[in-house]
Amino acid sequence: MTDATTAVDAVGSPDAQPGRTRRGARLSEWSALYAMSIFAALVLSAILVEATGGDWRPVVSALLDGSVRRPGRWGETLATAAPLLVVALGTVISSKAGLVNIGQEGQLYVGAAVGAYFGFLIGGPGPINVVLILIIGAAGGGLWAGVAAGLRYWRGVPEVLSTLLLVTVGGQAVAYSLRWEWLLLAPEGRRGNRNQVSEQLATDNRLPRPDFFGNEFPLTVFISVVLAVIVAFALSRTVWGFRLRMLGRNPRAAQRSGVSETRYGAMALMLGGAFAGLAGAAMLTGGGFAFGNYQMVPGFSANIGWTGLLVALVAYEKPLAAIPVAVVFAGLRTGSSFVGSTGVEGRITDVISGLLVLALLIPAAVMLLRDRRRARAAATERV
Amino acid sequence: MSHSELGDAGTGVTNSSPVPAVQLSGIAKRFGAVVACDNVDLALARGRIHGLLGENGAGKSTLMKMLIGLVLPDAGTIAIDGKTESIHDPLTASALGIGMVHQHFSLVDALAVWENVTLGDAGRLDPNATRNRIGEISEQYGLVIDPDKRVGDLTAGLRQRVEIIKCLRRDPSIVIFDEPTSVLTPEESEQLFESLRHVVAAENRAVVLVSHKLDEVLHATDDITIMRQGRVVDQRYSTDADAPTLARAMVGREVSLRSERAALGIHSLDDTDLDDVEPVEPDTVLPATAQPVLRIDRAVAHDADGVVALDEFSLEMHSGEIVGVAGVEGNGQRALGDVLSSLLTLSSGTVAVDGAVVPTGKSGAMAEAGIGVIPEDRHDSGLVLDMTVAENLVLVDQSRAATRGLIDQRRLHAFTEEMIEQFNISCGGPTAPMWSVSGGNQQRVVLARELSQEPKILVAAQPTRGLDVGAIEYMSHRLETAAASGVAVLLISSELEEILELSHRIIVMHSGRIVGEMSRAEANFETLGLLMGGAAA
Repeated sequence: MTDATTAVDAVGSPDAQPGRTRRGARLSEWSALYAMSIFAALVLSAILVEATGGDWRPVVSALLDGSVRRPGRWGETLATAAPLLVVALGTVISSKAGLVNIGQEGQLYVGAAVGAYFGFLIGGPGPINVVLILIIGAAGGGLWAGVAAGLRYWRGVPEVLSTLLLVTVGGQAVAYSLRWEWLLLAPEGRRGNRNQVSEQLATDNRLPRPDFFGNEFPLTVFISVVLAVIVAFALSRTVWGFRLRMLGRNPRAAQRSGVSETRYGAMALMLGGAFAGLAGAAMLTGGGFAFGNYQMVPGFSANIGWTGLLVALVAYEKPLAAIPVAVVFAGLRTGSSFVGSTGVEGRITDVISGLLVLALLIPAAVMLLRDRRRARAAATERV
Repeated sequence: MSHSELGDAGTGVTNSSPVPAVQLSGIAKRFGAVVACDNVDLALARGRIHGLLGENGAGKSTLMKMLIGLVLPDAGTIAIDGKTESIHDPLTASALGIGMVHQHFSLVDALAVWENVTLGDAGRLDPNATRNRIGEISEQYGLVIDPDKRVGDLTAGLRQRVEIIKCLRRDPSIVIFDEPTSVLTPEESEQLFESLRHVVAAENRAVVLVSHKLDEVLHATDDITIMRQGRVVDQRYSTDADAPTLARAMVGREVSLRSERAALGIHSLDDTDLDDVEPVEPDTVLPATAQPVLRIDRAVAHDADGVVALDEFSLEMHSGEIVGVAGVEGNGQRALGDVLSSLLTLSSGTVAVDGAVVPTGKSGAMAEAGIGVIPEDRHDSGLVLDMTVAENLVLVDQSRAATRGLIDQRRLHAFTEEMIEQFNISCGGPTAPMWSVSGGNQQRVVLARELSQEPKILVAAQPTRGLDVGAIEYMSHRLETAAASGVAVLLISSELEEILELSHRIIVMHSGRIVGEMSRAEANFETLGLLMGGAAA
């Protein structure tokens, strides 16, 4: 009865075992929860818009225009979804090992800056340099998370704190490097009238942006999907993923079984950082409307790190589920950039997208709490 | 606090006060099929210390929990100072003047002593008043402590002092001490009993001392009640009691004269002259190899609270023998299991398997050296409840289901099906999550995994705890079969019957040391009971 389901899939969904009926019930439970919470968020948003003197209908229409309807917009949405997905994948890896990495924003920013620095420094032939920037960006983000890993495993500093605080440190470090020409600042005369901006990547140092029916997006879209499949496979089918999950679920059993918390934990945290760094480097080399002009600027990370973290949460730590979730979040982002044109105040659109994000998070939180309670009840009942 | 002194004859063993401070009559409590307390009568008199003695699971704690309102009795009455009361929660108990010093600390490490003492109070904090009150209590009972110290920085003995102050601050007229010395050094225990005497004599409080240590019950109490399997089996004045009688009543076996003499012989045992008393062949399977398969040499380990858990513990084991580790829980057995699971690092001493020293506390080292473990608490380190049955079966060693770093689902399933059949594991199939499997079958999963790895040494800690009769038999049979096939089995158990049934050789642990060692033929309940109570030291 159970051979169709794989052993490993059951990890995130403790109800996988008794076959189709339970699974179906669970699916409808999920759908109902999502429908309810999204509906509630929409009603609240509509009330909010009306209460502040606006009209909700054009707002919805603008959201759709901005995310998919207008020419070129769905390409833009996908281009935004790609780094979100990459960040989310790294987050999934960290949290499978039981670690709470919430510093993706900083890891992404630092990764992009390091990638840019070496990209300009090496300046090799085009395609090779692009790959180098991506790799070095990932390494930069990984090392930045490695600081948190070092603090945790040598000095016992909780990674929740260190990763979060390192976001600020990283932000300041990059801002500093954008003030000095020997670091990232573009030479006089090549930075226009701006004084904290790096040079642009040379045209052959940029990722190709194929065009589909008037929608263009960088190659990172494909790369991120491939990465999602790889991560899903690694976590569920490899011995490495098995041991990582063991560490996350029961560190003492892992310790006895030869999964060193220091080694696997540090690796998971640094991989999380590396994915964020890769996302940063991909934003740099992929360019486009969403992420500027193939150059480092202050605020380059543009909340992609934070949103990627949310994507991982909403996707319930499942790499493949993160793909659609990333697209939805990207759509919210690209869509809400159009809402301003309806005359609704910018702050209101911020609140609306906040409400929608909450609506996406609530079902996962509800289900997580309920599964925990069930698991605990089962565990205590059956000792 | 004033208590009416109605003149009426008290019941129970003590008649020193006309109305007992506490009179429990016909108290009964069941948990499912387990009878924790069965028609228990107990009277506590003011101005006296009452020892409540019994093995683990004898019902002592449950009885006391009913007195402080943590557990409700199924039947029976509780009278405080002659008045029948219904104690349905700890607040009621507290209002009636009943306080308890719990065995496990309920302190917050990060807070100062005075802050901990006020925990649970309502209303505004008054640091200075609290400090003064602590000072008063300290002076009155000789429990000296600095109210501004962080609790996390205190030794176990001092922490207990905080617990006691916390309890005495409310000025209870009836005080229960639950196994108060389990975390204390002998000197600290001595101090504690001194202040206890003071509490009782000077202030006419009624005190209960819950314990399984014969020594301390004999020396520190006035009256003794002995419980076994939920019943009161004996009540007497401490002056009328001696260690062998108490031991016998506690473990509940008739003992012959011969074994009584043997018991006295064992009295002189302590671990310095263990070598002279070394084993004894009779029905022991004698080691065929000269080299012991497991050798623990003067191991010293501390638990998370910094208390010495293993104290110069040395043990040698040979292939094919079952060594039973007897002892009251909390005397270092858990630390022994943890060290052999790579969960605890030794402060000094070594562990060697087949002559090769295995680093302690290094993840996976013990398992790799060939030590299988059925842990005391399978949820702690034995299983990952959120993973599947199949995954749990290869938790320690994935190689049998993996090729070049990839998990081969087909092989994993084949192996799982094989184990499910071989060990009769009843579960919803290989992909059933571990938490959906019943306790007995979870234990079978652990057993199947550990045995399938063909260990040289198998540590079985409380392997039958919580299992039903059939499952116990099955487990015993498996352990015997393992030993017969050459595995050295270290059976850690607080169930003497289990130890006597299975072991070839028995060691007794007390306070992290081996206080006695004997062959199966030499062992009997009374000897073991005495040693377990630390009477021999």
